[in-house]
Amino acid sequence: MRWLSDDKLNRLRSVVSEAEFSATKYTFVKELGRGGMGAVYLAEDRELDRLVAIKILNTPALTEDLGNRMIREAQIIAGLEHPGIVPVHDVGTLADGRIFYAMKYVRGSRLDEYAAQGASLRDRLRKFQSVCDAVAFAHAHGVIHRDLKPQNIMIGSFGEVLVLDWGVAKIRDDPRSSAVYQTGDGTVIGTRNYMSPEQARGENDQLDERADIYSLGAVLSFLLNDQPKVSKVANAIAAKAMASAKESRYTTASELSSDIARLLDAEPVSAYRENAFERVSRWVGKNRFLVLLVLAYLLMRIFLIFTSRS
Amino acid sequence: MSKPLIGVILGAVLGVIDGLTAWFTPAVRNELFGIVIGSTIKGIIAGIAIGFFAKKFHSLPIGILFGVLVGAFLAWLVAFMQGGYYFEIILPGTLVGLIVGFATQKYGTPVEAN
Amino acid sequence: METDTDIGGPAHRFPQTNHSAIINARSDDSSVRRRAFDTILASYWKPAYKYIRLKWHADNEDAKDLTQGFFASAFEKNYFATYDARKASFQTYLRTCLDGFVANERKAGQRLKRGGDIDHYQLDFAAAEHELAAHASSTLSPEDYFHREWVRWMFTLALDAFRQRCEASGRTVHFQLFERYDLSDDEVSYASLAEDFGLELATVNNYLAAARRDFRRIVLEKLREITASDEEFRTEARSLLGVES
Repeated sequence: MRWLSDDKLNRLRSVVSEAEFSATKYTFVKELGRGGMGAVYLAEDRELDRLVAIKILNTPALTEDLGNRMIREAQIIAGLEHPGIVPVHDVGTLADGRIFYAMKYVRGSRLDEYAAQGASLRDRLRKFQSVCDAVAFAHAHGVIHRDLKPQNIMIGSFGEVLVLDWGVAKIRDDPRSSAVYQTGDGTVIGTRNYMSPEQARGENDQLDERADIYSLGAVLSFLLNDQPKVSKVANAIAAKAMASAKESRYTTASELSSDIARLLDAEPVSAYRENAFERVSRWVGKNRFLVLLVLAYLLMRIFLIFTSRS
Repeated sequence: MSKPLIGVILGAVLGVIDGLTAWFTPAVRNELFGIVIGSTIKGIIAGIAIGFFAKKFHSLPIGILFGVLVGAFLAWLVAFMQGGYYFEIILPGTLVGLIVGFATQKYGTPVEAN
Repeated sequence: METDTDIGGPAHRFPQTNHSAIINARSDDSSVRRRAFDTILASYWKPAYKYIRLKWHADNEDAKDLTQGFFASAFEKNYFATYDARKASFQTYLRTCLDGFVANERKAGQRLKRGGDIDHYQLDFAAAEHELAAHASSTLSPEDYFHREWVRWMFTLALDAFRQRCEASGRTVHFQLFERYDLSDDEVSYASLAEDFGLELATVNNYLAAARRDFRRIVLEKLREITASDEEFRTEARSLLGVES
């Protein structure tokens, strides 16, 4: 047997891992990216004449049962029709046994790229609210994402926010559940900087929506990180979402979204207890113009008093 | 809180403050009580008018303009009845109208559709 | 519900499920254990030899004896029965056992008795030595080198198996096209292949796609044989295919 040089070896590896769409209605265009779970390709849907993003999971379904389960769960996720959840158009198997999802191809930038472009704090918080709303919707339908991070959130060209990569989502209360992998206890699924402590410990069977709340808190922390003037209140919201004990976190993504909305409207939030001075400062900040008008009136009054005396 | 009510409360409060500043004019200090009452009533009337206007019409610039006009008019009436101190009465009165006009447009429960 | 094939398209085929040699190495049936051991030996002897040479600075004769001695002991004493996939990959486990074996042999200071039950295998140590001399790395740690050589050997075995299957099934052209296009150092186009082989362009496209598909299947089959769990298989597949983790 002949020696395989490094160059030939790398070529064989890429041949083996590349997508092969011959048994589908898609034509390969280019590779968009690669990750631990699989690669994402840009492809053309020949029937509908549109571009789609196809995610191919690295390893084949090893048994027919596991493959069918992956497809069933992908169908559940495809049923999450929400403007903030990237629509799944198709799911199936390649000729070599690998499972793929075809999703809407989102033109835009990832949340981390969007933040790096200098988005204001207010804009970041509005986008974050949209993420929370999408996640809350998924939770309401029994789906936990398990891999929320800035790289899995897209800001589309119209400013729309889409949560991607539901490939390791868990269907709550289904002990056999995993959209991709059979993740029994002990297996760590997620991305290190954004995963909850219970996820890091591999307690997959006990995971609930609060694991996603933690990840949302980590995303919020990321968005606040490079901003010059971040209030204690904003940091308190992030801290509450990222509490080590899941009982101390927000119970739902909707609660987190509501606190962000209150922060944006200069209303008191549940994560932070204001003292009297802070409450007054917040009210004055929110009603700045009115306060200035009244001050102007009083100043005018004082001016008139002095002029009438003289 | 409804917009007319905001108008009434703010008009009354500013009317009281307005009236109390008459204390700094020794010539009218004896009539302070009457001035305060009159000023408060003027403020309430302005507040009601401006508040009801805000209930019907949702436009910050127009609401402020209406408040200014109402405040100025009522203040002019008072100054006319006083026979003097036009500047000292109309200017603050106008400003009160502006403040109430702004506040009733910005705050308070909007009108509900029938 | 489970077989909603309309969505996924026609090709709902799953690879054959292969028994894991690691699991079979614990079988009570000696013939099953033997075959499992053969698979493990075939997959690991070369990287093990090179690893011993590099890490333990053994000369080629000692490394040959240690390699054969290790696998002989592994079979006789059933080292792999205690392997637990939850704790480490099989590759790591085997390498650890190998280190332990070599250390013990050095300590005992005895000349190894060659052979045992693996005498009958034709392990081409000369070729391994030649490769080591020509391509040894000074930048990789011994552990990383072991892994790299294991990957290289896995693909080499898969390529050989693919060639044999193509020849056996009368699809030599498939293999030749694959070799010319994906293994050649020269830039080759589909058009030039079509001309050289006297085939239509579409045929070249289809044959190559089929060849790659089959090759991929063989690579993953080989990998499946030497992993003990689905989790380990997926982890090693990612590593083998060079995907970031």
